[in-house]
Amino acid sequence: MTALGLTSFQLLAFVVLGASFVVTIVLTVRHRIAPRVGFAWGLLWISAAVAIARPELTAIVAHFLGIDRGTDVVLYFAILGMFFGFFFVYLRLRRIETDLTRIVREVAIHGATEPHAARADSSASGEGRETSAE
Amino acid sequence: MSERATVVVPAYNEEAAIGPVIAELVASYPDVVVVDDGSTDATSQVARSAGATVLRHAINRGQGAALQTGITYALRRGAEFVVTFDSDGQHRPQDIERLLAPLRSGRADVALGSRFIGSTERMPRRRRVLLRVAVAFTRAASGARLTDAHNGLRAFSRRAASTIEIRLDRMAHASEIIDEIVRHRLRFEEVPVHVRYTEYSTRKGQRSLGAIRILKDYLIGKWLR
Repeated sequence: MTALGLTSFQLLAFVVLGASFVVTIVLTVRHRIAPRVGFAWGLLWISAAVAIARPELTAIVAHFLGIDRGTDVVLYFAILGMFFGFFFVYLRLRRIETDLTRIVREVAIHGATEPHAARADSSASGEGRETSAE
Repeated sequence: MSERATVVVPAYNEEAAIGPVIAELVASYPDVVVVDDGSTDATSQVARSAGATVLRHAINRGQGAALQTGITYALRRGAEFVVTFDSDGQHRPQDIERLLAPLRSGRADVALGSRFIGSTERMPRRRRVLLRVAVAFTRAASGARLTDAHNGLRAFSRRAASTIEIRLDRMAHASEIIDEIVRHRLRFEEVPVHVRYTEYSTRKGQRSLGAIRILKDYLIGKWLR
C-alpha cells in the first residue's frame, strides 16, 4: 500500500488513464477528434479508472450478466472490444487502399503518354508528348 | 474492323519481354495501352518505343488495379471493345480476333480465352493442377462453368467493360471479373486460345502459395461487397 491508500497498480493506472483522458479532451476541443469519438474514448478511460478503483463493481456487473467473476467480465469486454477494434481498423485500411488506387489511377490517366512513333496528327517531336484523357 | 478495339496490357518490371509483345500487337491493333504498375525498370520506355500508349502507376497497386486503369482509360477514349492481354509473351495477338468475333456479332458481351479448349505449349504440370483447382473453385463460388478460370486474355464490349468494376487490386481480380460477369448477367463465351510457356514466364508466374493469398483476398472482397 502506498500513500492515499492506493495500491501501486492503482496509482500507475490512474496516472496513465488520467493523462489519456486529458489528451482526449484536448484533442476533442481542438477538433482533431470528432466529439462522438472523443466521448467514447473518454468514457472508456473513466470506466477503466472506476473498475480499477472499485474492483468490486466489476463483480456486480458480472453477476448481472450471469458471469462468475468480475475479472472475467473485464477480460471478455476487453477482448471483444479489441476484436471489434481491429476489425474496424482493418475495414478502414481496406478503404484507404481502395482510395489510394483511385488516386494512382487518375494520376496515371492524366499523365498518359503517346508512343514515340510519329503519328499523322502529331506536331511534337522528340520524347512522347502528354495527352489529355478527355 | 470498323469499331475500335483497345488492347490493355498491364505490366510490372517487364522490360525484358514487353518490347516484342507490343511491337507484334500494334501491327494489327494500333490502340495498345500499357499500364506500368510502378515498375522499377525500363518497362515504360520500352513499351513507348515499341508503339504503345503508356499509363504509369506511381506506386505498385497490383494487376487488377492496372487492368481497371487501362479499361477506364480505354472507355474514356471511346473504345468500342476492350481486350486484356498479358505482357510476358504468353498470349498470341492472332487470338484477339477470335475473341472479338462473338462480340462483333452481338452474340456475347464478354469473350474469355481458354487454354484448355484451346492449346498450350510447355505448360508445367503444377500449373495445370493449380488451374484445374481454380476452375472447380470458380464454379462453386460464382456459378460460372468455365474451362479456364485464370486467363488474362479476354475481350469486353463497351457495355460490359463499363458495367464491371475491378475492386480487388491484386491477383484475386481474375475471380472477381468472373463474379462481376455473373452478377451483372453479362453474356459470356469461352474462346480457344493458345498459351505458350517459356522459362521466363514460368519463373515469373504465380507461386503455389500465392494461390492461397488470392483465395483469401477474393473471399474477403466478395463478402465485403
